Amino acid sequence: MSTFRLSHGPHIRDSWTTSFIMHTVLLALLPTAVVGVIVNGWHALFVILASMVSAVGSEWLFCAITKRKISIFDGSAAVTGMMLALTLSPLVPLYIPIIGSAFAILVVKCCFGGLGKNFVNPALAARCFLMISFSNAMTQFPLAADGVSSATPVASLLAGKTVNITQMFLGTTNGIIGSSVLAMLIGGLILWGLDIIHGEICFSVLGGFTLMMALFGGQGFDPKFLLAHLCGGGVVMGAFFMATDYTTSPVSRLGQFVYGCLIGVLGALFRIFGKNADSFSYSVIIANLFTPLIDMYIIPKPYAYRKAAIKKANGEKRIPLWQRIPKPVIALTLITLLAGVALSGVFTMTEPAIEQRRLEAKRASYQVVCPDAKTFAESDSADQAIAALDGKVYGTGFGKSYINEALIGVDENGSTVGYVIVVTNGNGYEGDIKMSVGLKADGTLHSISFIELKETPTKGSKAAESPFIDQFVNRSVTKLVLNGSGSDGVDAITGATVTSSAVVNGVNAALDFFRNVMQGGK
Amino acid sequence: MKDTFRGGVHPRGHKALSREMPLRAYEPVGELVFPLAQHIGKPAKPIVKKGDAVSVGQCIAEADGFVSANIICSCSGKVKAIEKRRTISGAMQECIVVENDGLFTQPDRYEVREDPSALSNEAIIARVKDAGIIGLGGAGFPTHVKLAPKKPLAIRYLIANGAECEPYLTCNDQLMRASADEIVEGMEIVLRLFPNAEGIVAIETNKPEAIAAMQKAVQGHERIRVLSLRTKYPQGGERSLIKAIAGIDYPITKLPADVGCIVDNVGTLYAIGRAVLYREPLFRHVLTVTGEAIVRPCNYIVRDGTSFAELVEAAGGVKPDTEAKKVLAGGPMMGIAVGSLEVPVTKTTNAITVLAEDAVERADKYMTTCLHCGRCTTVCPSGLMPQMMADAIIAGDFERYEKKLYGLDCVACGSCTYICPAKRPLTQAFKQTKAEIMAKKRAEAAGGKK
Repeated sequence: MSTFRLSHGPHIRDSWTTSFIMHTVLLALLPTAVVGVIVNGWHALFVILASMVSAVGSEWLFCAITKRKISIFDGSAAVTGMMLALTLSPLVPLYIPIIGSAFAILVVKCCFGGLGKNFVNPALAARCFLMISFSNAMTQFPLAADGVSSATPVASLLAGKTVNITQMFLGTTNGIIGSSVLAMLIGGLILWGLDIIHGEICFSVLGGFTLMMALFGGQGFDPKFLLAHLCGGGVVMGAFFMATDYTTSPVSRLGQFVYGCLIGVLGALFRIFGKNADSFSYSVIIANLFTPLIDMYIIPKPYAYRKAAIKKANGEKRIPLWQRIPKPVIALTLITLLAGVALSGVFTMTEPAIEQRRLEAKRASYQVVCPDAKTFAESDSADQAIAALDGKVYGTGFGKSYINEALIGVDENGSTVGYVIVVTNGNGYEGDIKMSVGLKADGTLHSISFIELKETPTKGSKAAESPFIDQFVNRSVTKLVLNGSGSDGVDAITGATVTSSAVVNGVNAALDFFRNVMQGGK
Repeated sequence: MKDTFRGGVHPRGHKALSREMPLRAYEPVGELVFPLAQHIGKPAKPIVKKGDAVSVGQCIAEADGFVSANIICSCSGKVKAIEKRRTISGAMQECIVVENDGLFTQPDRYEVREDPSALSNEAIIARVKDAGIIGLGGAGFPTHVKLAPKKPLAIRYLIANGAECEPYLTCNDQLMRASADEIVEGMEIVLRLFPNAEGIVAIETNKPEAIAAMQKAVQGHERIRVLSLRTKYPQGGERSLIKAIAGIDYPITKLPADVGCIVDNVGTLYAIGRAVLYREPLFRHVLTVTGEAIVRPCNYIVRDGTSFAELVEAAGGVKPDTEAKKVLAGGPMMGIAVGSLEVPVTKTTNAITVLAEDAVERADKYMTTCLHCGRCTTVCPSGLMPQMMADAIIAGDFERYEKKLYGLDCVACGSCTYICPAKRPLTQAFKQTKAEIMAKKRAEAAGGKK
């Protein structure tokens, strides 16, 4: 009689394998990818493919070089590649996903021990790496349906503008490839239904985020406001696909809940106080770093050792619900509440000081563009006109220009020495550009100074530097023309036409306002 | 009262192979082998010598101490040898080998029913002890010890375990269908020892015929009722049953009796009935011979000491076009893989499962590193954190394993290993670590005494 195979029990195994789970996740991401390709065109498909091929290729390379078992068939590298691609703009050159995926797999995953050993989500770490390394290419987004704005919906939202929530939900707006909330929800909920991702994580992320947004977002429980924030900036993708990464999330249910809340709260804080449109990935990464700590301290006791079970085993009565809430939950709730109160307290306390500083900065910038003035007086005609505008766009042909303030510069003797008009143009690359435009007493342009300029560093930020800003000094014109060859011409900044155009439009609006409103059309 | 416990897994049942096969008695032809250690506790002491004539029902090895059990001869013949033989565990163990004369002479009293009402509680327990009855569910805890808890009045439930949650196994299903009345008689006898207890027959919902048979049998027995439980592994584990029925979780250091429960397999209760009413000791029990590689999967009443080879042959042997990859003593979840068929059936052997395919071999091909997916923590019936326990073992941190993670509370049901998508050998590591820690503790205790 032959001998039989020997092994420890159990001698039967469930049919699910690592590779099955990973491929199911990949399938769940497919609807989002398909919508991304339909909305953004073929280039999006190439970005996705490049990212996945690079991820799988890098893993193969690493395994081959280090003489390990080739692990590419477990599907985890493909998932990382797909996830990274979905967080990219559809306009990125193909080297970006290739470098990003290689970084994700080689540095973040393989160097730390491969599958199950990485300490942060590889796709998100790679995204941060790309944001730092290629900030310009990473923030080029296609034009929105209105053909004007090119900032992502969340950037617009943070700039105080209204957004189309339906478009954001469907993913037809400008933004990353995986911006379809509907498709993400379909995939995410299927994974949740299959018990592949933990509801404790995704719903606490969404819950924590919504609650914080409602409490500190400044708009209360305004469903439109909350929905717009939930639909933008990758919150849904973060909640269902990024935060739920097994390796970088806690194992215990309570730990998962704490971790999810942490992501939601951090994400909302970054939005509200950081005014950063892509901050959600950072909140997931920070929470990833907390995972080992959470797993170290939140270890659920076996059923038999929980207080209620001990009492029951001893034949005592059931203890009431509120006594059965684990202590860490109470502690964490208290800490969260305290942190919230402290934050809002600091905010309230520092706000007057910040306001004061802002006023001083404003005044200083007025002084720059109208150096002869000692004080600034208000102009009745201008104030009436600004009130009549009621926050609407001023005039036509100036893009989205808003006149904020118009003041008359006065010297010691009380005579007019110049004018300052504060204007905001909303067509900046990163949202609003606010500047003060100084005019001499005769109406010639004296100079301009920026109050708010958040444009891309090394590109649009050059608007505040010479030679660009020098072109606005001592110009006796009624209207400036971008890249015009005549005496009214202004040369655009290389590589920042959008910013240049926004500045010129703002200055033109100010000039127009001065002539037509303050001077009564003279 | 819920109908189940927390956690658990749903392996495929494979019970259709043998579930409709009625119990048949199998009479062995070859020599019979009786290992001296078939139960938890000290091995029994042989009271026969080589060459002695023995008969059916004769005690051939005596319980050594309180937690131990008699070994009963299941055939008539001559003691051939007392020597080391290969047993189910794979080790060579001291066994009594009896040459079978094929007559199976047994005392006439096994046919005569006695009136149990005159028996005192002590007499009942003494008869159970003399009969060498141990828990037939698998653990093999001596039943006379179980029936004599410190506070008999505190026992609230007598649970007859007919869950049979192991895949492939059907012998208890058939036993309940065929001998429902005898099982209930056994329960009534045990209930006499525990005046405050309620008798509950716990059966998984996938055995409707057995539920119906037991329900019919308990009619007129006021203290006994049938409870159908959700079909889920390990529903038939003692702790799972107590959780489902009494709603109590208790630490591994406690016994069921400490929380007011006595759990006995239906086969054990049947044996108690036979022992007390007919003074028939435990020398035969039910057993399923099954598996994809078996020609005619069957349910048998087998005599202890019969060799696996004979039973597999009786069930038609291995299919000609199939290879028997793996042979298990018991079901596929908690059963033990045996290397050869030349091992004897013991009291706790409830199945011989011959598999044509080894899932473990296949799983090893798919093994990856742990994903931290947490599936093991959701299926653990004790609420342990198997993934963290495995990490602690890898880190060599036995202190954390024992104190922080309560690793010694693992009952080795195998649910975590079954569900693990990364195919990590978790249960194996836990069993070994537990053994190491316990050995260390014993060594320390021994050192302390000196």
